[in-house]
Amino acid sequence: MNLIDRYVAEVGKHLLLVKGRKDIENELRSTLEDMLEERAKSAGTPADEALQLEMLKEYGAPYSVAETYNPNPYLIGPRIFPFFIFILKIVLAAVALGLAIATVVQVISAPPMNAMELLSILGKGLLNIISAWIGAFGNLALIFALIERYAPASEFKVDDKKEWDPASLTKDPEPTEIKLWEPILAIVMTFIALSIFNFNPQLVGIYYLDKSEWHVLPLLSEAFFRWLPLMNIAWVAEIILNGMLLRTGKWTTSTRLFSIATKLFQVFIIAMLISGPSILAFTPESLKTGGITDPEAIQALSQLAHTGLKIALGLGIFGAVVEIIKSVYKMVTQK
Amino acid sequence: MANTESLENVVLELRRGVIVLAALSQLGTAEYGYSLLKKLADLGLDVDQGTLYPLLRRLEAQGLLESVWKLEEARPRRYYVISTEGKKLLPKMKKEWAGIVSVMDKMLA
Repeated sequence: MNLIDRYVAEVGKHLLLVKGRKDIENELRSTLEDMLEERAKSAGTPADEALQLEMLKEYGAPYSVAETYNPNPYLIGPRIFPFFIFILKIVLAAVALGLAIATVVQVISAPPMNAMELLSILGKGLLNIISAWIGAFGNLALIFALIERYAPASEFKVDDKKEWDPASLTKDPEPTEIKLWEPILAIVMTFIALSIFNFNPQLVGIYYLDKSEWHVLPLLSEAFFRWLPLMNIAWVAEIILNGMLLRTGKWTTSTRLFSIATKLFQVFIIAMLISGPSILAFTPESLKTGGITDPEAIQALSQLAHTGLKIALGLGIFGAVVEIIKSVYKMVTQK
Repeated sequence: MANTESLENVVLELRRGVIVLAALSQLGTAEYGYSLLKKLADLGLDVDQGTLYPLLRRLEAQGLLESVWKLEEARPRRYYVISTEGKKLLPKMKKEWAGIVSVMDKMLA
């Protein structure tokens, strides 16, 4: 490997995320060889290492050269940065709210405690919020970095220069317009679900009082948590969708398509939950621990819970399918 | 010192503004990056290579140039030539440039 090859490889290291890296490297090599040949010819000297060093020094540091080929050096560029900050604020607020609620529930449901124990729970709650904030920031930054790289620019145009038309105030709201609180509520609720199921799954259960102490009977089985990664994807998709809706303020073809895809994915997950092993953690043993000893009552309760869950999940699928049909219909009629 | 630097920056900016027009105007016949750089320099427009080569790639991405790799003297070279789209745009750019020159001439007279 000669000096030019090493130099080109160094430049390439700074172009890992740039499209057409190999092509840029080949072109750079070809150019440098042309330059070297010409220099050697005009100086009447061989194209030796000294001449190569002189030429490469003039050409510039590899990272500076790479920089000129990178049209988008941002992890999250100005095109979507305001949107990122906007969603980040909502996400951080929702995470804080969700975990604050979880901490309060923990304090209420805990046995009587002294001040130090209370402070310890509150301190842990605060640490949980900070650590969840760091995680949420990282995840969101990753999602937006991917959007920055792969989403078409037309979907995230910065429309600062768009002329504002005062006449828009006199128009009746378009049927595609959405109410601001709807996506905000959806984002907050989704984040609460994300934080509870991922960070505090023990909170999901049936609470009962026994000898003046609160106990929790776990509601969900391992079978449920096996599907949690897919559910997380569906929830994150839901947050992105609602973020897009907040930004555009109305439904567009791309948000409708995105919504349909998200709902289809949700239908798939719910169908898997129905068809797989029961996601309820109720067993005769756990019910007995909960203080129910009558075998008939156990049988009836267990049956009721499992049937009830299947009906609820079935309604979930029905709701999602209705939403899909509505989206398709509106997309066709309002285009 | 500061004045020299400011002047250099302004000159650099002025040149950057005309490189697209200069490159498109000279790519009626195919040239590779280095040969175009020399051609522009011979005509009196010194362009920084770090500006020209990435610019050629951007113009190609915009559909104003076409490129093809050719093997010459045991070395592959990428040749750029103006595209049909670029040919359509060039006269409009020339007209725009003439307008700018005329306005600036009036201003600076």
